This record gives sequence, structure tokens and C-alpha cells, in this order.
Amino acid sequence: MSLLLTLFSVLSIALGAFFFLVGTLGLIRLPDLFSRLHALTKTDNLGLGLVILGLLPWLPDPFTALKLVLIWLLVLLAGATGSHLIAKRALRGDGEDLTP
Amino acid sequence: MSDFLIATALVLLLSMTAGLIRVVVGPTPADRMMGAQLLGTTGIAVLLLLGVAFELPALADVALIFALLAAVAVSAFTRRRLDREPDA
Amino acid sequence: MTADVLMLLFDLVLLATLLGLAVAALTSPDVRRAVMFFIAFGLWLALVWARLRAPDVALAEAAIGAGLGGALMLAAARRAARRSAVDGQADPDEEGS
Repeated sequence: MSLLLTLFSVLSIALGAFFFLVGTLGLIRLPDLFSRLHALTKTDNLGLGLVILGLLPWLPDPFTALKLVLIWLLVLLAGATGSHLIAKRALRGDGEDLTP
Repeated sequence: MSDFLIATALVLLLSMTAGLIRVVVGPTPADRMMGAQLLGTTGIAVLLLLGVAFELPALADVALIFALLAAVAVSAFTRRRLDREPDA
Repeated sequence: MTADVLMLLFDLVLLATLLGLAVAALTSPDVRRAVMFFIAFGLWLALVWARLRAPDVALAEAAIGAGLGGALMLAAARRAARRSAVDGQADPDEEGS
């Protein structure tokens, strides 16, 4: 049981770190603002979610676990709102954001 | 287990350092803001990993502040458009 | 043993990037860019405090140093750019609008 839990945790954290790496690569390599925004949001939601999921079995008490899940929810909310604001600003602005 | 957590934190720190490239080269302010947002999220992950590896649950509070910081920074940044509209 | 090597690597990367960010924030010619660097610097310094097992100092640094200070400096940079535009000086930030 414990071994299985460890395996699950390691797998989940490794997958989360993989998402972070892919998101960073996307942010550096993708050609324009909106595709970079797309790479960023995947990282925010999935990468952090998987890392927190993998950390849950190692926490001392359920209260801390609840706090971590709430942090993830806050990041989901703030990330979605922030990305929406950035995209809206770039779309409705006078093109300042699309040129250097 | 602690070794694995620290190794993952190191990998994520390197990923943050690479993400800084986008903050440095831009080219637009929105790109820089997105880079800062990614930095914040990855920083949260590093802090949580270190918190479990060091057995310091208080680091979760720092991660919470990081999440708030990203939200405040993004709204402070996008507000610029709204209050410049009338005289633009 | 492995943990020591890993921590050493972690510290080296953390320190090198922190110094680089500080120099970049001080030498950047564009004010808004310097503020971005300052926010990133505050984030990094909070990570350093967390690594030194001082969560309360990290908390203060992240909240005041990077969050509040960064938002206030962004607002100040915006106001300064607008004032110099009103004064009729050439301002690279205002050319697009």
C-alpha cells in the first residue's frame, strides 16, 4: 500500500514537473502572444494541480492538505482571470501589445 | 522521498530561470506579464515541494502569498489600459 | 549525501539568478522593465528566504517587497510616463497609442 502510494506520488509530481517544463518551453518558443498565452494556462492549471496531488499523501494533517487544494483553486481562478484580462487587453487595445 | 522532492524543486527552479528569458526579451509588455505569471506559478510549486521536503508547513502560507501577488500584479498591469482610454 | 549535492546546486542556481536580476533591475534603461525585474527579484528573494527555512521573512518579502512595492511602482511608472508625455518630451512608451 505504502509503496503504491509512493509510486503514485512520484509519478504525479514528475508529470507535473513535465507540464511545467513544457509550458516554459512553449512560452519561450511559440511565435505570438495568444499561442504563448495558451501554453501558459495549461501549465498553471495542470502542472500545479498534479504537483499538489502528488504532495497530498506526505502532508502531516488533513488541514494542510485542504490548504494546498485551496491554493490550487485560487491559482486556477487568478490564472484564468489574469489570462482573460491580458487577452482582452491585447485584442481590444490599439495594437500596442502586438508590436514591440 | 526528500531527495526526489529536492531534485524536482531544482528542475523547476531551472525552468523558472529559463522562463526569465521571456521576461527579459519581451517583446511586448503583455509577454513580460505572462512571464511573471509563469514565474509565480512555478515558484508556488517550488515552495510547496520545499515545504514538504524540509517539513516546514508554514511555507504553504508563502505559496499562498505568491498566488495573491500574481493576481495583484496582473490587475495592476492591465488597469493601465482602462484609465488611459479617455485621453488616448 | 545526494541531498547535500542537490542543495548545493539549488543554492548556486538561486544565487546566480538573484545577482543577475539585481544587476538587470539596476541597469535597465526602461522604467517599466526595471519594475518587472524588481518584481521577479522580490520573488526570487522570497525563494531564498524559504530555502533558508525562514518562512516568516519570506512571507514579508513576498507580500511587501514584491507584491505591494511592485504594484505601487507599476502605478508610479505609469504616472511618470504620462507626465513626461504631457510635458511634450519624447517617450518611447507612448508612441504606440
